[in-house]
Amino acid sequence: MLARVANNLFWMGRYIERSEHIARYLSVNYFSSLDAPNEHSQSRQFVLQSMLFMVGHPHKGDQILHEPDVLYNIGLNMDKEFSIINCVKFARENANSARDLISTELYEAINKFYHFVLNYSVEDYKNKMLYDFTSHIIEFTAILKAKIRTTLLQDEVYSIIKLGVNLERAMQVIRIINAKYNDILIIKNQQSIEITQNQQGQAVGDESQLPKEHRTDTGLEWSTLLKCVESYDMMRRFHKKTPNNINTLDFLILNENCPRSVVNSLAEVAKHIQVLSSEKTIHKGSSIFLVNKIYSEYKYKYIEEIEVDFRTFIKDILDKLVAISKKMEEEYFAY
Amino acid sequence: MNLPLFSTYTFDKTFFDEVFEKDEVIRDVYKTLFQLYSDHTTDDFKSLNEKAKASFFNQGITFQVYGVNETKEKIFPFDLFPRIIDNTEWEHIERGVLQRSKALNAFLWDIYHEQHILNEGIVPKEMITSSANYLEEMIGFDPPGGIYNHISGTDLIKHSDGNYYVLEDNIRCPSGVSYVVCNRTALKRALFGVFDQYKIQTVTDYAQNLLEILETVKPEGVDNPTCVVLTPGVFNSAYYEHSYLAKGMGVELVEGRDLFVDNDFVYMKTINGPKRVDVIYRRVDDTFIDPDVFRPDSVLGVSGLFGAYLKGRVCLVNAPGTGVADDKAIYTYVPEIIKYYLKEEPILKNVHTYHCNRPTDMEYVLENIRNLVIKPVDESGGYGISIGNRLTEEEIEKVKQTILKHPRKYIAQPIMSLSQHATYIEDEESFEPRHVDLRTFTLLGRKKDFVLKGGLTRVALKKGNLVVNSSQGGGSKDTWVLKK
Repeated sequence: MLARVANNLFWMGRYIERSEHIARYLSVNYFSSLDAPNEHSQSRQFVLQSMLFMVGHPHKGDQILHEPDVLYNIGLNMDKEFSIINCVKFARENANSARDLISTELYEAINKFYHFVLNYSVEDYKNKMLYDFTSHIIEFTAILKAKIRTTLLQDEVYSIIKLGVNLERAMQVIRIINAKYNDILIIKNQQSIEITQNQQGQAVGDESQLPKEHRTDTGLEWSTLLKCVESYDMMRRFHKKTPNNINTLDFLILNENCPRSVVNSLAEVAKHIQVLSSEKTIHKGSSIFLVNKIYSEYKYKYIEEIEVDFRTFIKDILDKLVAISKKMEEEYFAY
Repeated sequence: MNLPLFSTYTFDKTFFDEVFEKDEVIRDVYKTLFQLYSDHTTDDFKSLNEKAKASFFNQGITFQVYGVNETKEKIFPFDLFPRIIDNTEWEHIERGVLQRSKALNAFLWDIYHEQHILNEGIVPKEMITSSANYLEEMIGFDPPGGIYNHISGTDLIKHSDGNYYVLEDNIRCPSGVSYVVCNRTALKRALFGVFDQYKIQTVTDYAQNLLEILETVKPEGVDNPTCVVLTPGVFNSAYYEHSYLAKGMGVELVEGRDLFVDNDFVYMKTINGPKRVDVIYRRVDDTFIDPDVFRPDSVLGVSGLFGAYLKGRVCLVNAPGTGVADDKAIYTYVPEIIKYYLKEEPILKNVHTYHCNRPTDMEYVLENIRNLVIKPVDESGGYGISIGNRLTEEEIEKVKQTILKHPRKYIAQPIMSLSQHATYIEDEESFEPRHVDLRTFTLLGRKKDFVLKGGLTRVALKKGNLVVNSSQGGGSKDTWVLKK
């Protein structure tokens, strides 16, 4: 396979996966907030800020966010690099460059996906069709992944795409966890301020000191987080407990049986990079070495080790995944 | 015509009508189809037409239209009424185009070697030496298998006398074959019922035959050749075709930047390092293939590629320098070329051509310009063509001045009466006659040849228009060759 085309396929996989996660994050957050049990989670500004944080463009300053603008920017604004429409456009452009290698069925599905997004009415989307739009994005990406799995020869081409999909999945799940974790911190912070004000200058108390209607249930945010990764039902089945910080993070980061967990994605990356490597001996510092190193590291970790310093975990794992991506470019995509 | 779909159809006896023998009398091969179509209402057909367009759109068979603020994707117009060619008529065409391709190959070998045909005065020497497409670098070089024009696209028209005439030979990088297959796919999807009633030759075997042809011209000493398709890139208007052919053959689609030459061998850059390339079906023009030899500013080609070719380490398909034989001035001599090399009478007729560099012809052209089509000899895609009876006095003067200034650059032909074919016109929501031609595709290899049983029927969608090229607003039809 040509190095240039491998690069295109890798990014095609990444953009398909990215569009799905952004769409799901938008939909789940928006709709779960509508009847959220507390004021913070129900606040429009809070939800819009969370969406912007997730796509990597956190809102700065005190300016009030305008809902249709935020939805447009994340969904259909071609001028925003992070928008869903751009992800789909880039996925198709990359597919175009590798059109001879992928199946007609896969190409047609990508092409239909692109035309669907391109022709979606901006006004409808901004004002009334968020659910319809995001549901279609999620369905289209599911079709694409089915076409990838069932119509391609399971060789290097397949592995390159799967590498892109899984590396992106690991990164997006971490971003989503980070975004929701950030939401929870904001809620808790806000809650502390309220308690302080309630105590009128006394030392900061705990949540139980607030009237019941003002208490913040972060359980909702953990549930929302699981739904953002389409893992809520399975987490309930596995843990049989109300979502909290430990069981949610454990499920989404370290559970090898959860198809969207970080460690599961890393296992897939490790499996598919093996297909590309023609060398029997793994050289230290090579991308295959780095992938297996990070996979082993998380495979044998306790969630408490992560939870104790969550910010460091986020930074560390994202840095390592970026380093793997760069190393792969150097080893396989240089042309 | 009683049928609503044909309510605005006007039979014009000046032209050969492919569907109607005379007013209201349908030709035998079309009778069943016509019957099937008569079951459709105007609305049915409108909806089928939309579906066919959607099929092209979803397959991504589109081209870009660049506007000031936005870029739009459009499909090449496709018509739902197929052209039908019966088996006897097709056999005549097939023998004719193959004969032509073989003769042109022999001609190319000769003009790059002993030049017997020039020395015997059958083709004037200056026709060759003055051609911009004659490559001196190719003199004395033996291309693998002795083949120059592996792929030929021959444009045919049916005149009002009912005979086929060759309008031009395209033996550089003829395009359009992917549309033959796409048209068939789109028609099958939209009107699958009609296929039960006809026994039609397949068109899906082109890519397989192309690969077999490419493998026959592998360089010496190579057992299992690696073949690739070289494309200028995704922004080229024929990119879909390049990717279609690479996929159909199961070979890599490469760009110039994916290849490099080392020690006169050509390699492609793969994820596992360099891999040798043996046969390149290049869809990049001669002047762009190697910046070391041709245009130094070319970023589409590969430095050292032509040198590797001349050393016999890689085969380029079609061979560089074939353009000299599809020059419209050489076209005139093709009947003589056929007789000279093959000792056969030409099977397909040529349209009479006047060379502006011959004083008597020039005189005739200047006096009869209104009844002639003036064509530049080295352009393709329908560019630079002037049709005498469509020009104003002022334009005629301008054309005259141009040909007087560059007589070698122009030829003239009588305005041919391209046959007409029923074509669905969206604005009218009914069928109307439109002019059509036919591009056939012929493959030549070492001890193997192939003619695609079908071809691209191109339609001039504007009423009365004779230029069918897609770049000039033309569309296309599925072309059915009937089995015996």
